[in-house]
Order: sequence, then C-alpha cells, then structure tokens
Amino acid sequence: MTEVETRVIEQTVRIRARPETVWRYWTDPRRMCDWWGAAAELDPRPGGTCRVEMGGGPVMRGEFLELVPHERIVFSFGWEPTDGAPAIAPSSTRVEVTLADDDGDTIMTLRHSGIPASQADHHVAGWGHFLPLLAAAAAAAD
Amino acid sequence: MDEALRAVADPTRRAILRLVRDREMPAGEIARQFPTISRPAVSQHLRVLADAGLVEMRPDGNHRLYRWQPDGLRDAAAFLEEMWADRLALLKAAAEREEWPERAGATRRNRRPNDKRNDKRNDKEKKRR
Repeated sequence: MTEVETRVIEQTVRIRARPETVWRYWTDPRRMCDWWGAAAELDPRPGGTCRVEMGGGPVMRGEFLELVPHERIVFSFGWEPTDGAPAIAPSSTRVEVTLADDDGDTIMTLRHSGIPASQADHHVAGWGHFLPLLAAAAAAAD
Repeated sequence: MDEALRAVADPTRRAILRLVRDREMPAGEIARQFPTISRPAVSQHLRVLADAGLVEMRPDGNHRLYRWQPDGLRDAAAFLEEMWADRLALLKAAAEREEWPERAGATRRNRRPNDKRNDKRNDKEKKRR
C-alpha cells in the first residue's frame, strides 16, 4: 500500500453573530447558498448527505459525520468526478468546523485535513483541473 | 483575490488559455482569433496571463510565442486555502447581516452608528420608553 502524503488547512474567523446563527449557515441549504454554491442538499445528521453545487459546474460531495448543535460540525469533502473538477474523490477529505462563543461573537475555526499534497497526475488531471473552479470563484467574488 | 483567479475571471483570457493549452502560439496568431478585440487589448490580456504565471512567453526572432504554463495553477491545498478564505468571508458577512437588526439596540450600537436598521430599532425603543 502506498503512503499518500496529505496536508491540512486551518482558518479562523471572528463573526459578529451568535454561534446559533452561524450554525444555520452550515445546516440550512438556503443560507448556505448565501455564501457557498448555487444549490445545496444538506441532511445535517451523521451519515446525512452534504452536497453543494458550485455555480461553475463542479459539485462538492461528502457526508455529515458529527454534529454538536451550535458548536461543532464535521463533514467529509470531495468533488464529484465531473469534467474539470479537481481530483479529490467524494468524501475523501475531512472538514471540521468549530464555533466558540466569545461574548456574543463567534470564533469560527475551519480545519480541512486529508488534502492530497500534490496534484496526483498531471495528464489525468490536466488542464481542466482548476480552471472551472477558479472561474466560478472569480465570478462569485465579483 | 489571487492573481491567477483575477486572470481567469475574464472570458477572453480563458479563451486565450484554451488556445495555448496544447501548443505554443505567436501573439499575432492569438490576436487573429479575436477579430473584435484590438491588438493592444490582446497584448494586455497576454501580459496579465504571463504576470499571473499562467502562460510563459518565449521570444523567437520578431515573434513572441506563448504557451500555457501548467505549474501556474496551484495545487489542491493552495486552491482550497483560497476557496475557504473567500467563502468564510462571505459566510461572516451573511451571518452578521442576518443578526444585526436584532442586536443593534444593545451594546453594538456604537460600532455602526450609521446603520439605518439601528436607527429604526432605536426609535422603537424610544417609543417603548
């Protein structure tokens, strides 16, 4: 068996809103579409579907693994194997979100682990790899 | 936003990238593919793509040859790092927008004195008193 090197991303944001409010942005499809994706299918219970369609075509697919209301959400994360999607298989990486109350604000920490350290294979992944995602991200950020 | 992201935000630049994906192409030939766009504008697009590291340029006599630079696209971790930074900023903005009207009357009033919703809230509070 080959050992695959992986990487971790961690980001922390202070939000001037209560953890209950922030929580809804991870569990309510309508609210999730305010910040991520054009459509979302969320079944927020362990084993439930977590699927987010990006405006540009790629689709994130994973499942909810752990939910502690207003405190912690863990879900698996990958891209459906559509044309141009990055080579991270559905459910192959892990995202942990923690929400901590700080005097009525929320300190939100996101930890994304299990990310492949390199683009596995240039000619399989090839050109289409990130372009549609970059374009979608750019369009959304405008 | 990252330079590469800005570079591919433009449809003409994406079309140029597709042209030079599989083979090297002189600037003149690239420009001919875009009859509705001026030559200087195409040159400018090529410069943006080169600055972002998405294409590489090789001088050949009087020509400048362009080709896609595969390493210009970031690896999965770099992409996700940026994606989350952008998205979490949007989440923060959305959650704060949702909650502000109901919290405006409390200690937060000073932070955004010009927020009209705060004024309405304050008026209501005054009436109640």
